[in-house]
Amino acid sequence: MKRIVVVTLVAAAVALVLRSAPTHAEGQFLANTLLPPMPVPADNPQTDAKIRLGRQLYFDKRLSVDNTISCASCHAPPTGWANPHATDTGVRGQVGGRNSGTVINSGYMQFQFWDGRAPTLEAQAVGPIANPIEMGETLDNAVKKLNDIPGYLEQFHVVFGSAATADGIGKAIAAFERSIVSGPSPYDRYLMGDREALTPAARRGMELFKGKARCTPCHSGPLFSDQSFHNLGVGQNGDKPDIGREQVTKDARDRGKFKTPTLRNIAQTPPYLHTGTEKTLLDVVEFYDQGGIANDNLDRMMLPLALTQGEKEDLVAFLEALTGPVTDVPYPALPPNADGSPAPDPASVDVKPDVPSVGGAQ
Amino acid sequence: MKRFVVVLSTLAIAATLLAPVPARAIPAFARKYGFNCTMCHSNFPRLNDFGQRYRANGYQLPGRENDEKTVLESPPPFAMRTSAGFNADNLSFPNIQPDVAQFQVNGIDILSAGLFARNIGYMLNFVPNVDLSGGTPAVGGTLEMASVVFSNLFTPWLNVRVGRFEPAYVPFSAKRQLSAVPYDAYEFVFPGGAPLSETQTGVEVTGHGAWGLSYAAGWVNGSSSNLLRDFPLDFYLRLSETIGGGEGQTAGQRIGLIGYAGLARSQDAAVASRVGRARVGLDLSLNHSHFNLALQYLFGWDQSGLWRDPNVLYFREPDDVLSHTGFAELSWLPRTDLVAFARFDGVYAPGQTFHGDLLRASLGARYYLIDQVAIHAEYSHAYQFARGAQTVDTAIGMGTLRLDFAI
Repeated sequence: MKRIVVVTLVAAAVALVLRSAPTHAEGQFLANTLLPPMPVPADNPQTDAKIRLGRQLYFDKRLSVDNTISCASCHAPPTGWANPHATDTGVRGQVGGRNSGTVINSGYMQFQFWDGRAPTLEAQAVGPIANPIEMGETLDNAVKKLNDIPGYLEQFHVVFGSAATADGIGKAIAAFERSIVSGPSPYDRYLMGDREALTPAARRGMELFKGKARCTPCHSGPLFSDQSFHNLGVGQNGDKPDIGREQVTKDARDRGKFKTPTLRNIAQTPPYLHTGTEKTLLDVVEFYDQGGIANDNLDRMMLPLALTQGEKEDLVAFLEALTGPVTDVPYPALPPNADGSPAPDPASVDVKPDVPSVGGAQ
Repeated sequence: MKRFVVVLSTLAIAATLLAPVPARAIPAFARKYGFNCTMCHSNFPRLNDFGQRYRANGYQLPGRENDEKTVLESPPPFAMRTSAGFNADNLSFPNIQPDVAQFQVNGIDILSAGLFARNIGYMLNFVPNVDLSGGTPAVGGTLEMASVVFSNLFTPWLNVRVGRFEPAYVPFSAKRQLSAVPYDAYEFVFPGGAPLSETQTGVEVTGHGAWGLSYAAGWVNGSSSNLLRDFPLDFYLRLSETIGGGEGQTAGQRIGLIGYAGLARSQDAAVASRVGRARVGLDLSLNHSHFNLALQYLFGWDQSGLWRDPNVLYFREPDDVLSHTGFAELSWLPRTDLVAFARFDGVYAPGQTFHGDLLRASLGARYYLIDQVAIHAEYSHAYQFARGAQTVDTAIGMGTLRLDFAI
């Protein structure tokens, strides 16, 4: 009798422990959750005037050496604030080596660029201006050009209390980019209690996502990104493999690693992977199903998945359900040049054919 | 009165567990991360390649050791597993073990596992004795596992597990097998000894890394027939190589070699000192599409005297006992919620009279209502050949239809 009571009490204690398990967000630390408020650095608070200035700069091609390329050229709103081509064409027809990531929710990311070389959005914002393949301008010359435009000079004084600087350009563009966020997706509505927000296929895909398809270990948290770097083997077996994160850290253990991108609004931003070699979401799922591409530094979480065709399609249905409405941003009116001539048309984003890459890094 | 208390307590526990909770009740590791069981199990309880790597990495996600949460930061790492259903066993030895045709609870495992700190994990598994028919607790229980694992000591090639644990020389886990019938190759053991697949107490060193190569070496107490004063002199070594992406569980092809040598004490007091025993084996795990073929061969050597048992009239093993045992198991996983399996076990050991040689065929399937609740149906038929005092060949049938579940 005594033993029965003891065993019963032990079992009851276990039951109570299970009953008092922390809630979803507290306990399941890799679970995918709702987006929190956008983090804003203390030295670059969001203001309407700054965001307005940043929006103009984002769409202004005069930041490039030949006035042909703006941020929006490769991260265009109509194409999910990314680019529909595998890699992008910069100034003088030069083609970069990596796919342009989306600006949507980029303010949440702890590292910018595929290799994470920019620790802040402010640092990222000015990077492409000085990149010889992308916008090909020097920061000094970009600053001089902006200060020669009365409309910009006046705005910089209002926002920063001084003429344009490289630091101010970065802060203004970063402030604007932080305003580009995705709203509630069907998945978010499902999390909030709307059980009909996901289709049956998407619900099955969700279970696969955090189970058999093993997406969650890397695509975790509210952003569906662990904010880390992994080697999937993409582009590692060519003549000149892109060493990725190693270029930043100089650590051979980081060879071939690239940042885990967010999956929010992923359906709007084909093609995929840092090379842009997978054209559709189903292609990406097929890629993962094979367990990546073998190389000396392949991530140990990359393993074949043995998904069925139906499971792959369910997974795609779930990924599509991560799409939420994005901040609507009309093309801005840009300040005219000092001589009164109009600014380049911000909406004229040339559709460029895919051409062979000459390298370079986004 | 006893029954009343037990029933009342059980109802109270059930009510507590079934009450609405913010998070879905799933076993310890999955609950910690927010994963589904299928992250690590191809078909619960069998591990997939990812689960195998997770276990080998000391219960940490490979490459994410810095991001792991400890037992103090994550949900209480408790889990339980049991199964209940109808068992029908025709054992042909009613004088030794009675036939069964009854609803039964097939035991319960209470588990806790997790991380104390980065690269320091633990596993506890308590198995209380349960009266199968009544489902009521009986006297005592077994601490089947209680180990701490120190992982990635400077390199993935060096991990140390200390305590009582499932030894890595067992290529196909008997704890996480699909079938309800034990592997006969592992169960073939001298009187008073424990199955080769049983948990061991001691220390184990493992390593894994590039080129698909893994090793495990251990120093353990060995046979349960040893006495407290018997200094541990059981050692083992396992080498395995995986070809292709995977761990040979559900992807990749794996080949392994095992060697085990140690000393054990005979049940016969006339055999004064411990005598030697050894096993060497070869195993293969081959995967193609949704099929897995598991092959195990073991050669056994047990020194003269080890098989003697004064409690059995027909004991007479003057010579060393040599054995050839093994099994082949084919499993088919067409979907996440379904697995079917067929297994053939064989035991051939002409030098002893305690066991008859055995051939067994098993056929079964598991359908998963949800990740951690499976309907398990299986039939196993064995044919045991006459040996010693057992003068006629006998057939043994075992059938079960049960629910296997974990929380």
